[in-house]
Amino acid sequence: MILELSGISKTFTLGAERIEALRGVDLSLAEGEFVTVIGSNGAGKSTLLNIIAGTCRPTRGRVKIAGRDVTRWPAHSRARWIGRVFQDPLKGTAAHMTLAENLALALRKGPRGLGPVLSHAKRKRLEKALAHLDMGLEGRLRERVAHLSGGERQAVTVLMATLARPKLLLLDEHTAALDPANADKVLEVTERLVEESRITTLMVTHRMDQALRTGSRLIMMHKGRVHLDLGQKEKRNLTVDNLVSLFRRVGVTDDELLLEAVRGRSSA
Amino acid sequence: MTLFVHAVEQGLIYGLMALGVYVSFRVLAFPDLSVDGTFPLGAAVAAALIIGGWDPFLASLVALGAGAVAGAFTGILATKFRIQGLLAGVLTMIMLYSLNLRIMGRPNLPLLGRPSALTVTVQALHLTPPWGLVLVAAILALGVKFLLDLFFHTELGTAMRATGDNPEMVRAFGVNPETMVILGLALSNGLVALAGALVAQYSGFADVGMGVGTIVAGLASVIVGEMLFRPRTVIWATVAALVGSCLYRGAILVALRYGGALGFTASDLKLLTALVVLGALMAPAIRARLKGEEA
Repeated sequence: MILELSGISKTFTLGAERIEALRGVDLSLAEGEFVTVIGSNGAGKSTLLNIIAGTCRPTRGRVKIAGRDVTRWPAHSRARWIGRVFQDPLKGTAAHMTLAENLALALRKGPRGLGPVLSHAKRKRLEKALAHLDMGLEGRLRERVAHLSGGERQAVTVLMATLARPKLLLLDEHTAALDPANADKVLEVTERLVEESRITTLMVTHRMDQALRTGSRLIMMHKGRVHLDLGQKEKRNLTVDNLVSLFRRVGVTDDELLLEAVRGRSSA
Repeated sequence: MTLFVHAVEQGLIYGLMALGVYVSFRVLAFPDLSVDGTFPLGAAVAAALIIGGWDPFLASLVALGAGAVAGAFTGILATKFRIQGLLAGVLTMIMLYSLNLRIMGRPNLPLLGRPSALTVTVQALHLTPPWGLVLVAAILALGVKFLLDLFFHTELGTAMRATGDNPEMVRAFGVNPETMVILGLALSNGLVALAGALVAQYSGFADVGMGVGTIVAGLASVIVGEMLFRPRTVIWATVAALVGSCLYRGAILVALRYGGALGFTASDLKLLTALVVLGALMAPAIRARLKGEEA
């Protein structure tokens, strides 16, 4: 197993209020699995990714990555096994540095030494990786990342997250802030890079059509629990309408969830 | 002519301090006020050691080390103990005020007749005034600039630059941004303390009050240089800091020499400096308002 979560609970205290974001989540990901995660607002999807990445500690439960218990490891220490892409395209890159410098930082995980950050060989390698994105970015290595569009920046972030071949890729609604055309392009790039590198992937999405179309397994979360865990075969026969009724069955009456479902259907 | 020579000479020596402020303020985006304490710390350490019979080069190196330790201390306060950056710097600065007095034993240490790393080098190279000292200062400042440029193009230096830009991204690539801040502030304050050590040897004394306004002078240099060069790379940004420092020192020498005619005294200098920095910082907002970009 690449990822093993056992009995993960997380309670946030906001003043006198206690919010149970996760209530005993057990989840295992085998090598090469591509799991999509959907859920209502406040289902605990982002908290789950934060706990896996280590930016947030679980109240109870254990996190194992590649067989090692990393529950108490700080985020930067487990980063060597994890690539992550956030919803905000600005979060994954350093705007004032060049495309080449950003990518060069992503070539390796872990502490840095005093070797040169960019060599001729590295430049060639990065150019090739960029050309593979098929977005015409290979000639723009010396440009500052701030000059790229949101879609271009997010595609570069996905490339950066996979460049060092981590064991686990975490995608946190990473196409949600993009316009439909760019969202599709970034998703296509993501699927291609994941397939080629065979990195085990966990993708949170708010679009049910995306969750059904992409990946080999689907998980539905609600109020801090995993309510549905569907494999490739079960997933294939499912429609957005099926999913909506499954959501209703677990008691989701959230207006926003239905809104997302409709939007998902119309763009499917 | 002598005014020009002095401006370049002082600009280059103080330029090391401007480079230090560039590292904390621009690279790390950390408003570090400890420099007001580490500049006189460098002066105090070097002066005390030189009076104690130390070699001036060695004394300057020890001053650099002391500044680095003080900078790392501010970094640790700001990261490991989550004290606001500004406050962490102020705390270090105030602690250093007392510490500097202890190191010197009294508020002012004259170095007249003592060997200075700068003049020893001038003599060793058989250079003559007025350009001898300028040349030595230029070799030193450009040497440090070159090393800094090299460092910021290593993997570690690039990670440090990225930390000022986007600490979360740096963390995602397995680098601890807190370590980068601590290392960066050590580097920055090491340079500032080295500048303090050299200024003490250049002017012939160390004074506990010589650090007041270091951050403003450093910022003024960095900003003036940036307005001239609009640097987009580290290599040009460090050039800008050094040239900015020379212009700033030139402006101060002019103010000291001719300011009297306008009714200014040397004690008005800090006010004028702050006004220059203020003007430069306000310029973008004023320009935007003039263009009608802001209501």
